[in-house]
Amino acid sequence: MKLALLGNQNSGKTSLFNALTGSNQKVGNWPGVTIDRVEGVIKKSNATIVDLPGVYSLSPYTSEEEISRRFVLEEKLDLIINIVDATSLERSLYLTTQLLELDVDLIIALNMYDLVKKKGININLKKLEEELGVTIIPISAKTGVGINRLKTRILNRRYKKNKHKKIYPTDVEAFIQEVEREYKYVKNNKNGKFHKRFGAVKILEGDRDYRILTDANLKVKKQSLEANYNMDGEQLVASLRYDYIVKVRKNTVKYKPHQETKTEKVDKIFLNKYFAIPLFILIMAIVYFISISLIGGLTSSLISAGFNGAEHLTIYIGTYPIVFETGTIGLGPLLANWLTSVGASSWAISLLTNGVIAGLSAVLSFIPQLIMLFICLSILETTGYMSRISFFLDRVFHKIGLSGKSLIPFIVGAGCSIPGIMSTRTIEDESEKKATIALVSFVPCSAKLPIISLVSSVFFTRWGFAFALLFYIMSILIIFALAFILRRLIKRKEHSTFISELPSYKAPSGKYIARDVADKTIAFIKRAGTVVVFFSVIVCLLISFNWRFEPVTNVENSMLRDIGNAFGWFFYPMLGGHWNWAASVCSIQGLIAKEQVVSSIEVIMAAGGGEVFAFFTPLTAFAFATFNLFSIPCIGTIATMRAELKSTKKTLLVILMEIIVAWFIASFIGMWGALL
Amino acid sequence: MKKQKRVFLHSGEEGHLSDLRRGQKCVVLDFHNDNAALRRRLLDMGITKGVVIEIKKFAPLGDPVDIRLRGYELCIRKVDMEGIDVRVL
Repeated sequence: MKLALLGNQNSGKTSLFNALTGSNQKVGNWPGVTIDRVEGVIKKSNATIVDLPGVYSLSPYTSEEEISRRFVLEEKLDLIINIVDATSLERSLYLTTQLLELDVDLIIALNMYDLVKKKGININLKKLEEELGVTIIPISAKTGVGINRLKTRILNRRYKKNKHKKIYPTDVEAFIQEVEREYKYVKNNKNGKFHKRFGAVKILEGDRDYRILTDANLKVKKQSLEANYNMDGEQLVASLRYDYIVKVRKNTVKYKPHQETKTEKVDKIFLNKYFAIPLFILIMAIVYFISISLIGGLTSSLISAGFNGAEHLTIYIGTYPIVFETGTIGLGPLLANWLTSVGASSWAISLLTNGVIAGLSAVLSFIPQLIMLFICLSILETTGYMSRISFFLDRVFHKIGLSGKSLIPFIVGAGCSIPGIMSTRTIEDESEKKATIALVSFVPCSAKLPIISLVSSVFFTRWGFAFALLFYIMSILIIFALAFILRRLIKRKEHSTFISELPSYKAPSGKYIARDVADKTIAFIKRAGTVVVFFSVIVCLLISFNWRFEPVTNVENSMLRDIGNAFGWFFYPMLGGHWNWAASVCSIQGLIAKEQVVSSIEVIMAAGGGEVFAFFTPLTAFAFATFNLFSIPCIGTIATMRAELKSTKKTLLVILMEIIVAWFIASFIGMWGALL
Repeated sequence: MKKQKRVFLHSGEEGHLSDLRRGQKCVVLDFHNDNAALRRRLLDMGITKGVVIEIKKFAPLGDPVDIRLRGYELCIRKVDMEGIDVRVL
């Protein structure tokens, strides 16, 4: 059995999908969270269910809506689950009227039914079922009410057959039926014999994917219909669908007079003329203050001491250090002692402690900070605040060639650039979308957080947070400046649009956030356990041997030094006029994964001692971090960028732009530091 | 940039959706724009002849605008509202 889940954007499809399949796909409260189709299996059954990007209609605008349309038209489906937002019935049923024209059965999952009473809406379900000729199951995807009932109905196939309810006035209906008869294969694609009625209506609309009327008689009839109603075919069909829905709604739904809702009250503050932007800046600053400074200061030295041992522990509360005398031995030294006692060779011990343990601890010590960041982002994403920010920043973004919707990729990108870039699919305008894709990786992602954290805590101990903030301010400035330049470079249509629903605020679901954060954290640990360990070991090997594979005692004789030296010229200016092989090795490692930058630093320090990096001054460290934050992103991001831009040339241009921008800014800071 | 003086519409007058004030209601008369994709989108979102639209609020920077129709709220840029002819209620 194959099912498709269809509904408007932000109607809760993915929540329902997760409830039916037991998975934890990304949920958010802005229109267009799901950007690709996702398959799952209904728990304890063999029914496959496909979650599709939200659509308002089966006539597509954006690439992710095209996915949904093609899927329902071309796939052989047993049933469509049409998820309908009970609190905004009129608009939601517009899609339903189109789905009812397909040759597929339909069941309506009437979502957010728990909110209906609260909003003073009274729906006569039985009558609505009768009017539409469709089985309706009221549910709440968030709380789980009604899900089991929906599941049993689906699996036992207890739902009404789709009888193609006639919704148009008789003259239009007669025309549609005539087209149906006249064109046996109305659809141009290979599956053309399906969805005859749907195709006939599309012909009346003049849809670009369907045949144009060639029959002279029908052409005349169409023209006379258009003249009678004083609208073209496209307008006519849309109007008649809505007329029908209004009629159904009047017979089945009663509204209490409109009172001020909670959302309206909250918006009075968050969308206030004067407070909106300061509040947004404050919220973002709090997110980063909590995750980087507060949590980081409390935990990162603890974890690193656990791995490597420490004579004393420093815990920062805000900018105030508290020092404990502990004398922890740590996992690494313990392991080394044990290995020595069982007689392991010294290079094996060094590989394990200087390679694996040092590399791992460098990355894993940031986990508490990342968890906090993931929690904050998850809350921002599910409450509905993101849609507000894109609403109020659209004007600014539009001026520099982006869309208000660009903000969502940027904020998602603060977690990871890959989903950030993918979420640009909701942006209608191609040039705004491309500019956003090119700029997402300038937002420091969670894997770059260790770099920011390390530099700001080592070199600016007491004012670490202020410098961490400086990195973020820099990233915003770079994005604005580049967007402004890109606007002149990217060819654009004279007109771009921004049309978006403004969803109601919703309380975030603790259960979902817990799973979401756990998923992201586990993915991070997995990467640390595989990619980071693997490349840390390689760095450790390269630093322990020379080109004749003889162990070296001085790192200055190692292979790694020569490799790093080959790129030394590139980093020369940003290091304030220092030729340093180790810094270039770390940056190159960052291409694989950005976490690799800090873990390489640890591995090289473990092997060669602190002297290798001793030349770093606060300013050159700052320059070095700047380069690593804004230059080429990791390989995964490059691949995603390539997929979304659909052009290798453009991807290479973006990378080139990133290298140039990062190099010049970093070199400027570095040289300036040298002159001081 | 030349600052345009905004002319607001009064009850009973006809004009563009972009010329309404916060809280005003109007009924849609017709569209006039040559952007086919935008027109299609507006139709799908329920902006058809005869529908009643209320201006709910302006974004803090004056654009886009949050409008209410058919029981839900939609954000739309002023430029795109210029192509919608309305009569103020």
